[in-house]
Amino acid sequence: MTELVQNLIDGLGRGSIYALLALGVAVVFGVMHLLNFAHGELITVSGYVAYALFNQGWSWFLVAPLIVVVAIITSLVIERLAFSLVRGASDFTLVLTSFGIHFLVSAIFIMSVGARVKTFSEPGWIANTFAVGPINVEVFDVVVIGVTIVTLLATVVILQKTMFGLALRAAAADFDTARLMGIDSNKVIRGAFALSGALAGIAGVFWLMRAGNTAPSSGISPMIKAVLAALIGGLGSLKGAVIGGLALGVAEVVLRSQLPGEAAALTEAVVFAMIALLFIFRPQGIISVSHAERV
Amino acid sequence: MFPDLRRDVAMPIVGSLALFGMLVGSGLLFAALQGGRASGNLVTAMFIDAIMVVGLQIYIGNTGVFSFGHIGFGAIAGYAFALFAIDPVDKATRIAGAPWGLADVSVSPFVATLIALVITLAVAAVIGLGLARSGAESGAVAATVITLALLFVTHEVARSWVSVTGGERAGLTFGIGKILDSRWPIYVALLGSIIVARLFAQSRAGRLAKAAREDNLAARAMGVNPISQQTIALLLSVAVVAVGSSLRVYDIGSVLPGLFFFDYTLLTLVMLVVGGRNSVTGAVLGVAVITTVREVARRLGSDGYEFFGIGLEAAPLGWVFREGLPRVVLGLAMLGFMIWRSDGLISDWELDGWLWRKIRPPEAAPEVPAAIASDPEAKLVADGIVVDFGGFRAMDNASMVASGGEIVGLIGPNGAGKTTLVNVITGMVEPSGGSVSLAGKDLTAAPSYKIARSGLVRTFQNLRLFSLLTVRENVETSALVAQQHGSGKKLPTVDELIVAAGLWEHRHRRASELDYGNSRRLELARAAALGPTFLLLDEPTSGMSDSESLDMIEQVRTMASMVGAGILVIDHDLNFITGICHRIYCLDQGAVIADGSPSEIQADPQVQAAYLGISAPA
Repeated sequence: MTELVQNLIDGLGRGSIYALLALGVAVVFGVMHLLNFAHGELITVSGYVAYALFNQGWSWFLVAPLIVVVAIITSLVIERLAFSLVRGASDFTLVLTSFGIHFLVSAIFIMSVGARVKTFSEPGWIANTFAVGPINVEVFDVVVIGVTIVTLLATVVILQKTMFGLALRAAAADFDTARLMGIDSNKVIRGAFALSGALAGIAGVFWLMRAGNTAPSSGISPMIKAVLAALIGGLGSLKGAVIGGLALGVAEVVLRSQLPGEAAALTEAVVFAMIALLFIFRPQGIISVSHAERV
Repeated sequence: MFPDLRRDVAMPIVGSLALFGMLVGSGLLFAALQGGRASGNLVTAMFIDAIMVVGLQIYIGNTGVFSFGHIGFGAIAGYAFALFAIDPVDKATRIAGAPWGLADVSVSPFVATLIALVITLAVAAVIGLGLARSGAESGAVAATVITLALLFVTHEVARSWVSVTGGERAGLTFGIGKILDSRWPIYVALLGSIIVARLFAQSRAGRLAKAAREDNLAARAMGVNPISQQTIALLLSVAVVAVGSSLRVYDIGSVLPGLFFFDYTLLTLVMLVVGGRNSVTGAVLGVAVITTVREVARRLGSDGYEFFGIGLEAAPLGWVFREGLPRVVLGLAMLGFMIWRSDGLISDWELDGWLWRKIRPPEAAPEVPAAIASDPEAKLVADGIVVDFGGFRAMDNASMVASGGEIVGLIGPNGAGKTTLVNVITGMVEPSGGSVSLAGKDLTAAPSYKIARSGLVRTFQNLRLFSLLTVRENVETSALVAQQHGSGKKLPTVDELIVAAGLWEHRHRRASELDYGNSRRLELARAAALGPTFLLLDEPTSGMSDSESLDMIEQVRTMASMVGAGILVIDHDLNFITGICHRIYCLDQGAVIADGSPSEIQADPQVQAAYLGISAPA
């Protein structure tokens, strides 16, 4: 029982980061029908900026907000330079475009700063724990879960209470009709990328705090987690993306503690295999969003 | 299996030989001119990449389903090959403790390749089942994710299952001097893959897969069950990839997790999409182009800005000409092609197709054959159909009957449920109540491809042709289905149907190049080629002028009688409907409000009320 609660807290901490990333993927998917395989690169770029700032002697308190800003700007720049040119193209083109960006960004870092991992120090409090009865709670998990809750609430307010949120939800439901109703598609798409970047930036702060390093290939892991979590939840469903992220985090932690011996090292493989199985039996994900075709 | 032996077997083999000759010839010429081991290795790697990319093309090109996972299959094959082919003496240093006595197994590289092939195909069969279950179709997201998950699973297993794979650092390595020392196996595999890829594309299964790639829904409505073709495509393509991967490992002499992961996935995908994923020629061209571009970038990046003796030392471009340049160029190539030319350099152009167009014998338009008799006892019965969309009852206890050979019209105002009724009959909408049968055989809620094979074939209100295929290929698709699943009645040939549709001079053009009226006629010919008992036509004259729709009446009649089919037709054009139909059903708000001969229907006060808004006399 104690172990279960312990795993649950660890899992929710990990899952919160995935949830934020997945939500960003889902927001963009909603307006562009684009499964963004370049999402992880927002963290790569932020990571290098953070590394440069740490070298200048900046502290995490100053760097953290800047990471979010950098992620937003990067997201908008990528939209402008690449995705805006393939709007409305086939799914095939969209997927490969995002895959190309993912690869190009990491290639540019390899060319300019080299393939080697750049390390920086984690914040001092990250390993601190406190005890609640028999359970050891990591301060980091509490911070992550807290910030995630606040971020999700803010996102809900933006989506429910603002004009932009209304436009975004309308566009996600039916992009063409939303345009016909006078919604400026450029604004909505850019807004979606900005929101997606902000969410990735916040997740990125935690991701980088825990990793303590950045490398050209840093984007792969957050990208795959984000995409899979968004898909587990049911693509296009924002609620589903958050649930998918949390489920992925908890599944990882529980499996790692339960798998015996050498198999524990295969946790990720088991998780991916389970996801593939889930898709075989429930291709629409946990929460299904209908995309029935009219004939 | 092949519609035309000369066009679909002989020519593709000739074309494959030519393609193989050009790639190998230019590679060997380059190696000879450059000399040295490095250029030899480069050329060998290019030939192996070509096998892999042709393998990818078989699946991605023909089905349109995007797969990240093929390099994952490659990893399985590569490791399986290494495990079986490496000498136990060399294995002992890395994986002495491997389970199931794998450390002591030793077979010849040829047998090891076969074992790798079998293991990989077994995995592919499972994955294929998953893809089928998840409803893989062109651009399907679930399929992309399943294949991506496969890539990551294989990578994680390769990294973490150290006792079998040697893990991330050691890997599995062949002993010194025990690696591939002749290119002959590569040549055989390369030529074989190109031929397999071309023959598959021309075969029945390949053509049906391509039809489903162009329009999954329309393909199913033409009796194609895309799942079986996609599975064949997957297995063939994985087989080619497995052989290519074994050769790659044997040539390099070792296997590490990174050998078959993202980088190689990107390289092979760039090669495929730059050349043109819908064409085998394109795949081979892409391999040659990208290998060249990558090598140029590599030299520019590493040889001090000097390339083929041209010095660029003075150039202020030091920040560009660096080690990582080839990767950046690959990324840019992927992006650039996706943005500006997503079909690749040559789209679906094939060398042998081009040769065939040069040398094929002249064709004469055949005569339109006489009508064949239809069986009046083959009744289409829709009984008490109810359809609910959420809380909205779109179809309320509607019934209709049509006898074989009869021409029956469905009319009614917008939203009356005409298309819904056709959708129910053809299995595209599942009714909440009622039944559909043809000649006594129950077809209620059967899959649409089975309904089409049973003799109910439809056209669509918004045209759904196989756009990239030619006019003839469109009609051939249905004819291929009819050959295998047809009722056995003597059907007109593809060319006769094309002539009857008035499309003879357009027969080699792509469906997407036809004007509106011709597109409608092609849809009609494609449906007729299945030899249906009933043709269900959803607004065949919508958007046509009066004189065009008069011509259309004739064409619909001719085509239906050529294949002995009755007709169920929806149209708004009353001239058309009354001109062609024996009997008419009028629908309003999901219910049948009247039926009878055209003159009876025209005189019916309820019909007038529904159509013109005049209130019906009580």
